[in-house]
Parts: sequence; C-alpha cells; structure tokens
Amino acid sequence: MDIEAMKNAQDIQGLIRHLDHGKPDVQWRAADALGSLGEIACEPLLRPLVYHRVNVRIGAIEALGAIGSPRSVEPLIKTLMTDQSHEVRWVAAVALGEIGDKRAIPPLLASLKDDNRYVRYGSARALGEMGWTPETDEERAYYSLAVQDWEAVKKLGASATSPLIDMLKVQHPAMRARIVEILGSIGGAVAERTCERILRDPDENVRWSGVLSSRNCGVPPSRLPLELAQRSRTRPSVFGATLLNFFFLGLGYDYLGKWWGLVILEIYLLLFLISQLLVGLFRTVIMMIPFMAVFAVQTYFMAKKEAALAG
Amino acid sequence: MVELSNQSGQKTADIEKLTAAKDIAGLIKTLHSDDMHTQSEAAKALGSLGPAAMDVLIQDLTKKDKEHHLVIIKALSEIRDPTPVPVLIGMLKDQNSEVRWGVAIALGEIGDSRATEPLIASLRDYDKYVRYGAAVSLQMLGWKPPTDEEKAFFLVGLQDWQAVGALGDSAIPALTTILHDRHSMVRIKAVETLGGIGSTRAIPVLMQSLADEDSDVRWAAVLASEKSGIHPMHLPRGLSLRPKKKKNPLIAGFLNFILPGLGYAYLAKWWGVMIYEIDIFATVWLLQYWGTFSYEALLPIYILLAAHAYYITVKMPETAP
Repeated sequence: MDIEAMKNAQDIQGLIRHLDHGKPDVQWRAADALGSLGEIACEPLLRPLVYHRVNVRIGAIEALGAIGSPRSVEPLIKTLMTDQSHEVRWVAAVALGEIGDKRAIPPLLASLKDDNRYVRYGSARALGEMGWTPETDEERAYYSLAVQDWEAVKKLGASATSPLIDMLKVQHPAMRARIVEILGSIGGAVAERTCERILRDPDENVRWSGVLSSRNCGVPPSRLPLELAQRSRTRPSVFGATLLNFFFLGLGYDYLGKWWGLVILEIYLLLFLISQLLVGLFRTVIMMIPFMAVFAVQTYFMAKKEAALAG
Repeated sequence: MVELSNQSGQKTADIEKLTAAKDIAGLIKTLHSDDMHTQSEAAKALGSLGPAAMDVLIQDLTKKDKEHHLVIIKALSEIRDPTPVPVLIGMLKDQNSEVRWGVAIALGEIGDSRATEPLIASLRDYDKYVRYGAAVSLQMLGWKPPTDEEKAFFLVGLQDWQAVGALGDSAIPALTTILHDRHSMVRIKAVETLGGIGSTRAIPVLMQSLADEDSDVRWAAVLASEKSGIHPMHLPRGLSLRPKKKKNPLIAGFLNFILPGLGYAYLAKWWGVMIYEIDIFATVWLLQYWGTFSYEALLPIYILLAAHAYYITVKMPETAP
C-alpha cells in the first residue's frame, strides 16, 4: 500500500511496519507521514522504542520529534540514556532538542560525556537548540569538546583540565591525541600526572602526542623512556607461544602471527595420526616428547627475540 | 662516482653508434636503461631519426606490455612530435591508470590542440593521478574553461579545494563525481568543500556520504550536512545505512556444529583452530576405543558449542560508527 494512502487512512500500524522497509527512502517517507499525523500517533510510536529493530526505533523517534508531544519526553530520555545503538541515541538527542522540554536538559548534559562522538555532537546541538547556555566552565568545556571546538577549549585554560582528563576515556584515538595536545598547552600539576599516564596509552599516535606535550606539562624528559616502557602491551605472550607449540606444534607460530603456523600444525597432526596407527598411541607420545621439547625451546627464543624487536 | 660517470659516458658513446647505424630497435632497448640521462639521450636520438623511428615507436604502443608502454610514452613526451597524438588520445582510455596518467602528461608536453577535448574528458577519470595529469596538461595547452562547471572539474583535477569552493553551486557536479574516489582523503576533501559551499543542492550527495565506508568521511559528512541545511533529525538514519561488517551468528553456529571450533575461527578467535584439532583427536580416539558410539557421545557437546558461538556472535558489540 502507498505511504500517502496509509497516511490518509491514519493507518499507524501499517506506517510503523514500513519503517523497516528495504528501501531507505520508503522508511523516510513513512517516518515523515507518522510525524505529520500528530498527537494520535504518539502513544503507538512509544511502543516500538524497545525491542524493535534499529530502523524502526530511528523512524519512530524521528516521528516523535516532529510530533513534539510532552508525553514522549520521558521515554525518549530513557532511550537516550540506555539504548545500545549509537544512531538511536543520537536521534533521541536530536528529537529531545526539537521537542524543547526542559526536563531533557540534565540527561542531555550527561550525554555530552557519551563515549560516541555522534551522540555527544547531537546532544550539544540539541542543548543549543533549546536555548541552553553553559553555566559553569566545566559545562562549557564538555560542550566545546562535544562540538569539537578545540580553540574554545584551549581558551578555558585550567578550568578545562578535569573535563579533558575525563574525556580521555573515549575510544577514538585521534580525539585522545588531540586532548593530550591541549592538556600540554594548558600545563599544571594535574596535567603533568595525566601526561605521564598517557605515555602508556595503547595507541601509538596518542603516546607520541604525549611525548610532544610532556615538555609543556613539566614532565622531565629523562622520565619519558621509563614511562613509555610501562605501557600495557597486547603483544603475544612468550610463554603462551612456547606452551602451544609444545602441545600443538605449529599453533604457537600461528599465535605469533606466522601464516605458515597452521601448515605446520596440519603436517604434524597427520604424522601423529599415521605414527599412532603404525606403532600405537603410547609409543608415538614417547617419541614425540623430545621432538616437541626442541621445538618449544626454539619457539621460546624466537618469541623472545620478536618481543625485544617490537620494543 | 667516477665509475658511474664513465659508465654513462660509455652509454652516450653507444647511443651515438646506434644513431649512426640507424638501429631503432637498439635505441628503443636503451630507453629501458636505469639511468635517467641515458633514457633521455636515447629518446632524443630516436627523435632525430624522423618518421621511420616514430612509426616503430607507435607500433610498439600496440604491444601488450605495460612497462614498455610507459617507457615509450615517456620518450614520446620528450620527442614532442605530433604524429602519435591520435594513438595517444586513444590510450587515454587504457585499462591501466599509470598508462593513462603518462599519456595525459605526454599530450600536454607535445602541445597539440587536438588533445584538448579528450583531456577535458579525462578530468572525469576515476583515478586522481589521471585527473591531475589531465588538468596540468590542459593548463600547458593554454585551455580556459568556458563555464564555471568545467572550471570546477579542472580545479578538482588540480586539487585546488579553496578555488573549487569559491565557485559555489557550480562545483557540485564535479565534487559529486569524486565522492566515489578510492582514496578516503579525496572523499573527505570533497565532503568538506561541499560543506563550505553550504548549498541545499548538495543534500542528496551528502546523505550518501553519511553512509561512507570510512569513518572519517562519515564524520566530515555530518559536519558538512549541518552547513548545507539538512535537518539534524535526518542524519542518524543516514549514518545507520553505513556498511556494517557484522558476523553472521547462523554461520558461526552452523560451523561450530559441523566442524567444532571453526565457528570460533570464523569469529577471528585464534584458539578456534585449537578446539577444532582437539575435536578431531577426540573423535579419532573415541572411534578407536569405543567404536561407533563416539559421535553420539560428542553430539551434546557440539550442540553446546554451536549455541555458544551463535550467542556470542549475537552479543558482539556493533563497531562504533
């Protein structure tokens, strides 16, 4: 059935079903149609906010934003705070800004600290839409970070330090590197401690940014190598590789990232099975042990050498 | 160093000998030399031999050897004889992008106005090197874009983003064609320039870029969309259309049932293969000692493994947009 016809017939359930249509532009028109129906569509649209597919949730929220009913504010806040999908949280923030109900301000402020940049950005824009202005420097810092206005953050100086440190938790490495840079330009005792901590960041670019900022932070250069060496490494364990190769020859190499590890494993297993058929399991195992021990020792030294090279 | 210059002096002497003997094949061979100077000397010598050499060079362009093509094209751009221009124009549609790039440069060096129209077409090539070569060559031919739209294609070829942006709406078609460039840096520049133009006409293409495969392009598209006047409410759905590299829980479950452990390998767990091998051993041994009962004994374990692989795939967090 045509979207226009469903809209005229006020077929709300039919339109909600079309929010998950295969074609994006049909989803779009269905969401627009639902939004134009006004208050009567509000209640049925609140139901799909939980359990339904991402497309349906996004469409329903778009429509709720257009309807602008105060009844939808609480459910939308819940979605903003708890939904798993980044896009759904983002659209919920935008819709709350559209509706303009003041109850949404505290949750939107909390969402300025969301792990996802789209959600932070949407929340900041929504707050702007509602005519909200930051009351404290801390709020101003979170807001500027959310819209990625780095100059504004820099201008805040020392009062931006703790929001900056808080936002180092984000997953996006480029953002962490940028934060470290700004912390370096601000300086101060807290920044110094963070500069030190950041030298252990898992991301190479972030660590480098930390090294470059450390002079401004006041970290003595002589301390840098030691701090850097203490970073947590996701390098394969030497002992693990040795043990794997002792029990499953080849798998240790595979674990160390050698493509031919599995080839060796297959050859070894084939030999093992043939030998077992010829001389029995017990003799096979006895024969294999010294052989495996040699490989285990070789693996140990190889993994150690590679670990040293990886630095 | 002394040895090297001696060598190149030796080669120059060889080239003189080959020229005197009108040994065209020998000179073409010398074009493949590693030494830049020798290459150029050989090209000059071929140029001095007139139409006879030119015919052989053009003949060689029909052979199927990419490296050889590039060498000949370079020589032709140094000889600057207009005879091969029609053949070179045909090669602007070669499959190999390096050949197309070389030809675009050569046509500019030769400076024959017949190349203008084909080079304008090459401004729309999907390869940025070819676009760049064509734009520089058009500049050398003294071409002036007749319309702002053509000018936009020309400036996009030159990668002069600021000048492209200054053209406003007329630049939208040119920028749209490069939104599918292979390199994400080019796509980001295109999106940013579209945002700078801030026109509602750019909305449909920016919506597509919201679903780009590269996360930095997507983010640039969000920032650009706002400047183009897209209602922010429409952005999240655009982003949700991005390609998602999610693993299929049914495949993981099925693999773990049929070949226990390989379902985990499919989920990129390194220990999946280990479980698979343990299973093979266990099956073989059980078969040896218990006879045919083994599969029935292992079946519940397989079902459990299948269910586990299915469950962890479903629970895997979506990668951040």
